[in-house]
Amino acid sequence: MQPNIFKRLYPVILVTFIVLVSAVLLSFTDDITRGKIAEQEVAQVRGVLEEMFPNMTSLTLENDIYTVLENDTTIGYGFVAVGRGYGGEISILVGLENKTTVKGIVIISQDETPGLGTRVAEEPFTSQFAGVDIDDVRLDGKIDAITGSTISSEAIVEAVRNAALEKAESLGE
Amino acid sequence: MSRFRKELSKGLVASNPIFILFLGLCPALAVSTSVDNALGMTAGVLFVLLGSNIIISAIKKIVPNMVRIPVFIVVISTFVTVVSLVFQAYVPALYAALGIYLPLITVNCIILARAEAFASKNTIFNSIGDAIGMGLGFGAALIIISFFREILGTGSISIFGTHLLTLPVLGEHPMAMLALPPGAFLVIGLLLALFRRMGVVRSE
Repeated sequence: MQPNIFKRLYPVILVTFIVLVSAVLLSFTDDITRGKIAEQEVAQVRGVLEEMFPNMTSLTLENDIYTVLENDTTIGYGFVAVGRGYGGEISILVGLENKTTVKGIVIISQDETPGLGTRVAEEPFTSQFAGVDIDDVRLDGKIDAITGSTISSEAIVEAVRNAALEKAESLGE
Repeated sequence: MSRFRKELSKGLVASNPIFILFLGLCPALAVSTSVDNALGMTAGVLFVLLGSNIIISAIKKIVPNMVRIPVFIVVISTFVTVVSLVFQAYVPALYAALGIYLPLITVNCIILARAEAFASKNTIFNSIGDAIGMGLGFGAALIIISFFREILGTGSISIFGTHLLTLPVLGEHPMAMLALPPGAFLVIGLLLALFRRMGVVRSE
């Protein structure tokens, strides 16, 4: 009776054991890479904001909003807005020069159609946002959509405006 | 030793996973938009294939038949998760470009097929040869496909940020369709026709 039960339970024990080994290995890998992954994200944001605000000397992060400082004086804000594009999520880093005006936007990641939707990540589209009041970030306001990429253009415009209004509110008037 | 070399070389041409066995076509179609992506995907697949072939060959005697598929999948997905975390940490641009196809290496039929058809029946040593051969064969196919798609679809070619060349007329007016999904089918189809004409691929 005893050996029979063991024989029947053996596959269960084996699979459990293999899953345990796998889980231990993965938590080690996660431990090693976690810090580096978080670092990469901050480094990416810092690089983009440095280009947007050439006078930046330091950066602080609080409640998902980066505050850009030049010798302890606030010169702008940065945050990540996420829009639903044609091919998936579009992450946009938005810079504000004050609580109501956009300094610029940079597309951090997107899965749009190559050659069509991806053009929203390029200069002619993104440069339109510089100096625009956040209430005017609309396709029927100050921003022109890219022909053939209406969905991608709209996703970005909506995500930028909604996130900007929300962040401006949380920053206080 | 000769057996090892035989297992290694068969994956490159005689049983090339893409052009002969038609395995793993889904990632081959999806990530062959640029040579960079093809190289990254090759590195990922080669690592996972090597790791899973070694482990599965090592544990083949203690794994009962009835649970072999779940065991294979756990082993394979462990390696895939490792690759995915490492790519995310050290090559974020590549991680972003490969997107969903990186985690999907788990269900890549090449890897499961090699585990089932080869590693679970052969020695560790020969399984290593099989993994390297199949991985490089997959990579070679991917690089050939992506080379044509990138150079004709965008008019220029660059590898890891180093610009190599721009075609005269196509640089201005690239055949963008080749970089899109239909282009992948066209390029693979034309390459297969060419290989068959050249006698590299024989019809049985």
